[in-house]
Formats: sequence, C-alpha cells, structure tokens
Amino acid sequence: MAHALNQKGNGIFGGGVKVFEIILLLVKVLFALVIYLFIFGIVRLIYLDIKSMNISKVNINKGFPYLKLVNKREYLHFKVEETYILSKNITIGRYDKNDIVIKDSFISGIHAQITKGDSKIYLKDLGSKNGTFINGKKLEEGEQKLLKDGDKMKIGQLEFLFVEGSELV
Amino acid sequence: MLGKITYHKPINMVVFVNIIAYAFLIFKDKPYQWHALLMYCVVVTMICTVYCVIIKKKLGEGYLFLIVSMLLSIGIMMIYRLNPDRGYKQVVWSLIGIFVFFTSYYLYQKSNKWHKYTYFYIAISVILYLITFVFGTTINGARNWIVIGSYSFQPSELNKIIFIFFLACYFKNPDKLFIQKFHYDENVKIIVNRVLLMFVTYINIGFLVFQREWGITALFLLIYLVVLYVYGKGKYFFVINLALILPVAIIGYKFFYHIRVRVETWIDPWSDILGKGYQITQSLFAIGSGGFFGTGLGMGKPYLIPEVSTDFIFSAICEEMGILTGAAIVLLYMLLFYRGIKIVLSIRSKFERIVALGITVMIGIQTFIIIGGVIKLIPLTGITLPFVSYGGSSLVTNFITLGILQAISNCDFSSEGEFNG
Repeated sequence: MAHALNQKGNGIFGGGVKVFEIILLLVKVLFALVIYLFIFGIVRLIYLDIKSMNISKVNINKGFPYLKLVNKREYLHFKVEETYILSKNITIGRYDKNDIVIKDSFISGIHAQITKGDSKIYLKDLGSKNGTFINGKKLEEGEQKLLKDGDKMKIGQLEFLFVEGSELV
Repeated sequence: MLGKITYHKPINMVVFVNIIAYAFLIFKDKPYQWHALLMYCVVVTMICTVYCVIIKKKLGEGYLFLIVSMLLSIGIMMIYRLNPDRGYKQVVWSLIGIFVFFTSYYLYQKSNKWHKYTYFYIAISVILYLITFVFGTTINGARNWIVIGSYSFQPSELNKIIFIFFLACYFKNPDKLFIQKFHYDENVKIIVNRVLLMFVTYINIGFLVFQREWGITALFLLIYLVVLYVYGKGKYFFVINLALILPVAIIGYKFFYHIRVRVETWIDPWSDILGKGYQITQSLFAIGSGGFFGTGLGMGKPYLIPEVSTDFIFSAICEEMGILTGAAIVLLYMLLFYRGIKIVLSIRSKFERIVALGITVMIGIQTFIIIGGVIKLIPLTGITLPFVSYGGSSLVTNFITLGILQAISNCDFSSEGEFNG
C-alpha cells in the first residue's frame, strides 16, 4: 500500500523511510487536529448562541431596569424575548452584532441605542427608517431622551414598557 | 486573520479535512489516483453550495448542516477509499439526498396539517410493510429489500419517519386520539387509546421482527419509550411498557437463532473467532491497530472486516484515521443531538416539538446502537451510521429527517420580506 509513498520519500529525502514516517505522522496529527478545531468552532458558535439567549434571564431579580414587551408574543412571527435587561449600554437592531437582535422587518439594521449614564437611562435613535417613538412622540435622528418609569417605547411593530428597577431608586 | 477564518467559519475546516484526506488518496499509490481529485471537487462544491444556500436564504439553523457536512465528507472519503465505485454511488446518493432535503424542507413548511393525517400514517406504514413482505428480497439475512432493476431500497427506513409522525399525532393530546366521538366513560376512552397505541407500535415491531431487522426493531422500541417517557401521561402506563420489553427480549432470545448468536458473540467472540465471532473480532482488531492517529487513509487493512462500508464503517474510520477521529465522530453526533434538543425547546407547537424530539432521538439512538455494536459495548445489530454509512435509502431518509428538522427550526421566526434597511 504505502510502497509508492515510501519510494517517493526515499527519492526526495536521502534520509529514507524515517523522514517519510515523520511527515506522515504530522499529516495525520494535522488531520485529527483540524477535525477537533471544527468541533471547537461549532462549540464556540453554540456558546455565543446560548449566551445571547440567556443573558436576559439571569439578571431579572437584581433590580436592573428593564424593557417589558407589551405585544402578545404569540402573534409575532419572529423571535423576541418577554423582557430585556438594561444592565449596560446596548444597541437594538436587526443585525446580529447588536446586543438585542430582533428580526422584525420594520426595524432597521442598527435601530436605536440605550445608554446608561449616572444612574439614568437614555434612549437614542441611530437613524432608523421607521423611527423610534416614546409615548407616541417620534425621536429625531441622534436625539437623546431620558427614559422614565412607565414610558412606552415603540420600535418597528413592537411596543415595550420601560421599568426602572430598584437599582436606580 | 487566520484566527478569523478558522474560528468564524467552521465550513473551512470541512474543506481542509477533505483536502488532507484526498491528498492521501491521490498519492497513496503510483500511478497517482487523479480521479480522487474529481471526487474532492464534487464533494466540496456540493457542501459549500448547500451551506451558502442555507445561510443566504436564511433557512433556519446553520449548525445542523455544518455538522452533517463533516460527517458526510468523512463517510464519503472512507467509502471511496474502500471501494471507489461505491464512493461514486454515495456521492450521487448525497446529491439526491440534498435535493430531498430541500424538497422536504419546503413541503413541510407548505402544509400545516401534518397532525391531521393519523390514519394515513398508519395505513401507509402497513402498506409499506406489506409491499416489503410480498416483493421483498433477502439480502444479508434481512428480508427488507425491494429490488427494482439494479436499484434496491429499504422501506423500513421510511417507516421510521412515519412512525415518528404517528407518535407526534398521538402525544399532541395524550390519550385523546381515537374514539373521541363515542360516548364512553373517560377512563375507558383513555384505556382504549393506550391499548390502540401499543397495538400500532407492536404491529410495527412485529413486522420488523418478521423482516429480521433487529437494529431497527430496537430503534423503534426505544424511540417509542423515550417519547412516551417525555410526553406520556400516567406513570403506570410507562412502567407497563418498560416491563413488556423483558418478555419480548426473552422470547426473541429463545426463538430466534439470529438474536442468540448476536448475544453469544457479544459475550464471547473469541471462542469461535473464524465463524460467528469473525465480524466483531475483525472490527476490534481494526480499531486496535489504528492507535491514536490511525494508519493513514489508504494505508490500513480495513477491507478485512466484513460489511465494512455499511455497518462497520466506524471501525474502518478508527483504523485509518485514528481513535481520536472516532471520538470526534461521537462528539459530532452529540453536538447534532444537542442542536436537535435546542430546536425542540424553542418551538411552541406541541406536534412539531414531538416530531423534532423523535427525529433527534432517532439519530442519537441509531448512532449509539451501531457504534456500541462495533466496539462490543452492546450486542451487534445491523443498522446504518447516520450520514456516514454507505447506503442510498438510509442516506435519503436521514436527509428527509434533517430537512424536517430544519423546517421546524425555522417555523417560528421566519422573517418574510425586507421592507426597509
């Protein structure tokens, strides 16, 4: 079986069979390594996937402010959580790189940003096409607005209720 | 840059594995086998195209096909190495399988009435069994093949899917499927329902026993028990079902020579090494001779194992690519199983949840039965390793189930049309 390769090994490397065997071993190790890298790659992707899934559920009781969905989830044909915790600065949009990803076709790629500054929460529109509304009032592009407890925020087809957690009080 | 490629695009790894493997196959003998290069091109083009279609068209889960593409390419390279003709056929079957994958994806999404065809599922499976019974041909001791011209296929493979759909119909509303129109007492209704469920299950199992399909018999029984355990109501009903396995197993052992042989060779294959124990001992020798990194593709002697390209492909992989690759394959199936369970958890419709669970469990159990069999962990029964073994009907069936799983994973959050940027 391996005769041809052996001869080739002899031809190229004067050292003979030993060199050939080392190369063969290296290639075999590489083969196994690549398969495991593939597995690690998938595990990593899955890890990122789960992280984005559970991030909102972990901090629910820690008193962070959060957004609560007003729409009935059952009538929406895309994935959306019941609550989104606002523990840090986040962006909302349709692209996967956002912190809150909502695949609603009425939401822009990067739609809005929520910033946290000196124990207050601000909402900023990042130039969305269909606009961001607070209590029915449309935000201008780049305009920053302070969010108060009980404010209703509307983006795309979705409406959220802003709830100040105990942390800010 | 390199980190970006390797980490973010596992599909590149699949291509890389194929490059190494076909390099082995091309250069193993003089004159060099250049038609292996053609195989490489076809396989890689096929996998990359399908992956791109899934990602670009947003057909739900990307991971499922990614994992399957790795398994598929390892299977094809091994089969091609063992027997080039079978390798070409396997590629053709994979192409058909991928076509079927997309077809079943769209068919499943088109209709939302799959839970209404209960009696149709029962009828179709019985018809398939009867066809096999009448026109069946015996190949390798199992009377389960239908031969048309030069093609042969196994209807029992299709029955797996139909059985899962039937179970989903039943457990959508547990114990409330049959005789709802009659005015009996509720308890009587429940008992009649349960008896009918067991009746359908054991009819399936009876036909399979009749075809001498031990692996698939065990598979059906285990799928049934798992779904019953997860979705059934009533502890005692499950315990009764569990207890029923014992007499079935004892009867099987007493009355069927095949099963007795399997169990005996499992306990002690060494006493009759040239006869009954030949398969399993050759498989063990092959796995043992591979070591950590294997002999190298095309440099071992896996052809000494009987049935190497179907049932014993795992041993061949262990011999030529090493036990590390073997372990990687087990890991890949675990990831596939995990992805399936994650899909199950994310769906709201109960029917689809049960179908997804059944499919996931089917792939998991099938892998366990055959890998456990060839490494002598459990008695050996002939069943295919999903997506790896040679065999058209098995590959096509697996792609149908994958298509259904893909469709289910995409059911809830399909974003249709883009209205703005």
